Amino acid sequence: MTAYLVRRVGQAIVVVIGVMILTFIMVHMEPGSAARAALGIRATPERIAVFNATYGLDKPLYTQFVIYVKDVSRGNLGISYTLQQPVSTLIEQRLPRDAVLLGLSTVLALIIAIPLGMYQAVRRNSIGDYTFTSLSFTLYSMPDFFFALLLIAVFAVQLKILPPFAPSAQSVAGILADPRALVLPVVTLALGTVASFSRYMRSSVIDVMAQDFIRTARAKGMPERKILRRHVLRNSILPIVTLLGLSLPGIVAGAVIAEEVFNYPGMGLLFYQAATSHDFPILLGATLVIGVATVVGNLLADIGYAILDPRVRYGRS
Amino acid sequence: MRITRRLAAIAAPVSLAVVLAACSGSSSPSASNSPGTPPGHAIKGGTVNEAWVGASPNDIFPLPPVTNTNGYNANLTSLLWPTLVYQGDGGQSIVNPKESLYSSLKYSNGDKQLTIVLKHWKWSDGQPITSRDFTFVYNLLKAEAKNWLDYVPGLFPTDVTSVQTPNSSTVVLNLDRSYNPAFYTEDVLSYVPLLPQHAWDKTSAGGKVGNYDQTTSGAKAVWNFLQKEGAQMSSFTTNPLWKVVDGPFTLVNFSSNTDWDYVPNKHYSGPAMPHLARMNDVVYTTDTAELDALRSGNVQVGGLPLNDVQQLPELRAQGYSSATQPIPGVAQILPNFYGTNTVSDMLLRQLYIRQALEDLINRKQIIAKVYNGYSDPGSGPVPIAAGGPWASPLEKSGGPYPYSVSNAVALLKAHGWKVTPSGTSTCQKAGSSAGECGAGIPAGTPLTFTLAYSSGSTSFDEQEAAIQSSESQGGVKINLKSEPFNTLAATVGVCNASSHPASACNWELVDEGYDPDLGLYPAGSEFFLTGAPDNQGGYSSAKMNQLINATEYGSSTQAFYTYEDYAARQLPWLWLPNSSLIVVYKSTLGGVAPLNPFSGSINPEDWYYTSGS
Repeated sequence: MTAYLVRRVGQAIVVVIGVMILTFIMVHMEPGSAARAALGIRATPERIAVFNATYGLDKPLYTQFVIYVKDVSRGNLGISYTLQQPVSTLIEQRLPRDAVLLGLSTVLALIIAIPLGMYQAVRRNSIGDYTFTSLSFTLYSMPDFFFALLLIAVFAVQLKILPPFAPSAQSVAGILADPRALVLPVVTLALGTVASFSRYMRSSVIDVMAQDFIRTARAKGMPERKILRRHVLRNSILPIVTLLGLSLPGIVAGAVIAEEVFNYPGMGLLFYQAATSHDFPILLGATLVIGVATVVGNLLADIGYAILDPRVRYGRS
Repeated sequence: MRITRRLAAIAAPVSLAVVLAACSGSSSPSASNSPGTPPGHAIKGGTVNEAWVGASPNDIFPLPPVTNTNGYNANLTSLLWPTLVYQGDGGQSIVNPKESLYSSLKYSNGDKQLTIVLKHWKWSDGQPITSRDFTFVYNLLKAEAKNWLDYVPGLFPTDVTSVQTPNSSTVVLNLDRSYNPAFYTEDVLSYVPLLPQHAWDKTSAGGKVGNYDQTTSGAKAVWNFLQKEGAQMSSFTTNPLWKVVDGPFTLVNFSSNTDWDYVPNKHYSGPAMPHLARMNDVVYTTDTAELDALRSGNVQVGGLPLNDVQQLPELRAQGYSSATQPIPGVAQILPNFYGTNTVSDMLLRQLYIRQALEDLINRKQIIAKVYNGYSDPGSGPVPIAAGGPWASPLEKSGGPYPYSVSNAVALLKAHGWKVTPSGTSTCQKAGSSAGECGAGIPAGTPLTFTLAYSSGSTSFDEQEAAIQSSESQGGVKINLKSEPFNTLAATVGVCNASSHPASACNWELVDEGYDPDLGLYPAGSEFFLTGAPDNQGGYSSAKMNQLINATEYGSSTQAFYTYEDYAARQLPWLWLPNSSLIVVYKSTLGGVAPLNPFSGSINPEDWYYTSGS
C-alpha cells in the first residue's frame, strides 16, 4: 500500500505540473488581451503599457511561465487583474463556502440515494420502483436553475417561509448559523445528485444480489436484512465511492448556476467571471486547485476501494 | 489636445436595464422620474437595503490607480469623500451647489485663473476642511498623475501652472491656458475630491503626519502608502485613515462580495443630515437573484433589468414604486474611416452614405420594441435626458435624420446608385463628381457592410436584427457578426490614429454599446478630435476639431450647440437609442426619485421613511 501511495503521489505531481503547463498555454491563447478586458475597450496604449508592466505581461511567455512557477512554489498565485486581490485570498474566501454548500448537498444526496437505490433494487419492477425511477429521471433531466427558480417561487416568493438566497456570511460558522438560508440551495443541488446516485446504487445492488455469495448466505439462513446490510450494501457501494472521489473536484470548482441563482459567490462564479474577463491569475490558480482536487479525489477513491473491498489490494499483481 | 478619457464612471445599481425617456419625446410608459412622495412626514431612522448586481468595490482610496477600473469603487467612496463639484441635482443634469464643497468659483484673467472659495465644512474628526486639503490632493496627483485612473493628459493637475492659498478657505489656480468655465467646472473639477491632509499625509501606518506631499518624492511615498492601504479590503472599516470623511455617511461594515453598510456621519456639514439610521448595500450575483430578493421583499431599493420590465405591475402590487434613470452616455455604431478596407471604408467616408444608413435606422421602433419605451432617443452626441441644458434644440426635436426610407433611397439615387429594396444596391455611376458614387468606389460596388457587435445580450441581438431589417428596406445589406466582447475589444482596440494594421483593423461597423462616461459637460474631444485615441474609427475633420476646441477653450456657451449640431449632422458615429435604467423602491421610502443620472442613483442622504410608513 505504501509503495502504491508513493507511486500515486508521484503520478499526481506530474499530472499537476502538466495541468499547469497546459492551462498556462491555453489561457494565453485566448483571443483578446487581458489589459483590454480589465481596462475597457477604450483603454489607451499608455494605460495598457502600465497595466502590462505592472503584471509582467510585457515579458516573453516563457519568462512569464517561469515567474509563475516560482511564485506558485512559494504559495503565491498572483494578483487578480479585475478584483485586485491576491488569488490565494480569493480562493481562501470562496472555497470553504463551496465546500459547505456542496458538501452538505452531497451528504444529503448520499443519505437519500443509498437507501433509495437499495429499496428500488430490492423491490425492482414494483410500483414503488417505477415511481422513484420516474422521479429520478425527472429530477435528473431538470436543469438546476429551473428547479432552483421553482423552489424560490414557491418557498420564498409565495409562501415566504425561506429566503431566496444562500447565507451571506463569509465564514463556515456563519454559514452554518443560518440554516434556513441553506435549505433551498442545498436541496436544489442534492436532488439532482440523488437522482444520479440512486440510479447507480440501484444497478449495483441488483448486480450484487445476483452473485453466488448472496445466494449462499440465503441458503445458510441468514436474515434478508442482515444480508442487505452486511453483504449487499458493502459490495454495492463501491461505484458510489468512485463517484464521490470524482465529485471532489466538482466541490472545489463550485456550482456556478446555484451560486448565481442563490446569490452565493463561490469558486464557480469566480472562475466563470475570470474566464470572461481574461483574468489569467484567477484562471491559473483555480485550475491548479481543481487539478489538485481531481488527483486527490481519485486517490481517495482508490484508497476507499481498497478498504471496502478486501479483494482489491494495490501493489499486488 | 486631450488624449484619453476617464474610465471610472460610477456603476449603476443594476447590470443592464433600461433606457430612458425624458423630456425629449421618447416615451416612458410606466416608470417615471418624477418625485415620489409617500404620505406622512419624514422621520429619522430606519434601514434601507439597496441591491447591487454583479460586483463589489475593492478599493477605498478615492483616487483610484490606473490599473483598477472597478466602477463600484466610486460608488463606495462618493458617499464618504464627495468631489469638489457635485454632479447632478435630483433629476437635473446641473451642478449641485448645495452638496458641492465650494462656496464660489470665480474665473478671471481671461479664464486662465480660477479662484475657489471652500465652504466652512468639517471633517468627521472635527477638523476644518481647508485649502491645504486641496493642495494635498493637487500635490499627490501632480506626482502621480499618470497612475491616477481619472487623469486626462493635459488637464488637472498638469494644466495648473501654480497654486496659491491666500487663506485657509481660498485656493487660486493659475492655468496654462484659457478654459471654458462650464467645461472646467463640470468636466474637470467634478472628478477631484478633497482629502484630509491632517490625517492622511503620512508614508506608513505607524508614521506621523507631516507635510510629505510638498516634495515630489514625498508625495509619491504618500501616494504609494495610501494606494496600498486602500486596497486592503479587510481593513476598510478599521483603518483609521478611512474613518476621516467629509461625506454624509461613514462606512461601518464591509464584507467582500456580499454587502457593505453605512451610517450617517455625525459631523457632516452638508445641507442636511441623512434621515436613515443605516444604509446596507447588498451585492447580488445576477439580475435573477436580485429580482427574487425584490419579490420576496428583502430589499427596499434595486434596479430592474430591462428584460424583467413586465414584472413592474407585480412589484407595484407588493408596495414598490419605480423611476427611470437616464444614462449619461451615447449609444452608437462606430464606422471605420481608416481605409484599411479599401471599398467599405471609402463608402463610409461619404457623408451621404452615412446619412442614408442613419435614415434607415428605425430608432423609434427599437425604443418601443426592444427597450419597451425606456430609452434615450439617440439623435446626436449628447444624451437628451442626462445631457440637461447641453442637449440642443435640434437633438431634442429628434435629430437631423429621423427614420425615412424615402429619404435614404432618394439620397442613394441622387449619388448614382441603383437601389434594390430588400436586396443589395449597387453603384452605377462611379466617380467623384456630383451625382456619382464618390472617390474610390468602383461601378458595381455593392452597398453592403458587416456590423460586428458584442454577443451575449438578448436586447443587443434584437436591436441589431432590427437595424439589419430596416436597412434592407433601403437596399443596404447588413451582415451581422456577433463576437465575444473580448474579441471585439481586441479588434477595435488596436486601431488608432498611429496604428491601424489592415490585418487586424478590417472591421467595418461596430456596435460597442453605450458610452458610459460622459460627464456633466458632455464634451466631444475624446471621441471626435483627429487622432484622439478614443476616436477609434479614425474620424478626422478640421472643422470638427475647431468646433470642439471652442467648446473647451472658448468662452461662448453657444459654441457647444454649434459643435453638437455639427456632429449630429456629420455622423462620426451612427446614433442609436440608449437604454435607461429602471429603479424600483419601496413606496414607503421618500426622496428616491427623481434619480440623479450622475450618482448611479445612490443618494441615500436624501432618502427617508415617513411617519405613515
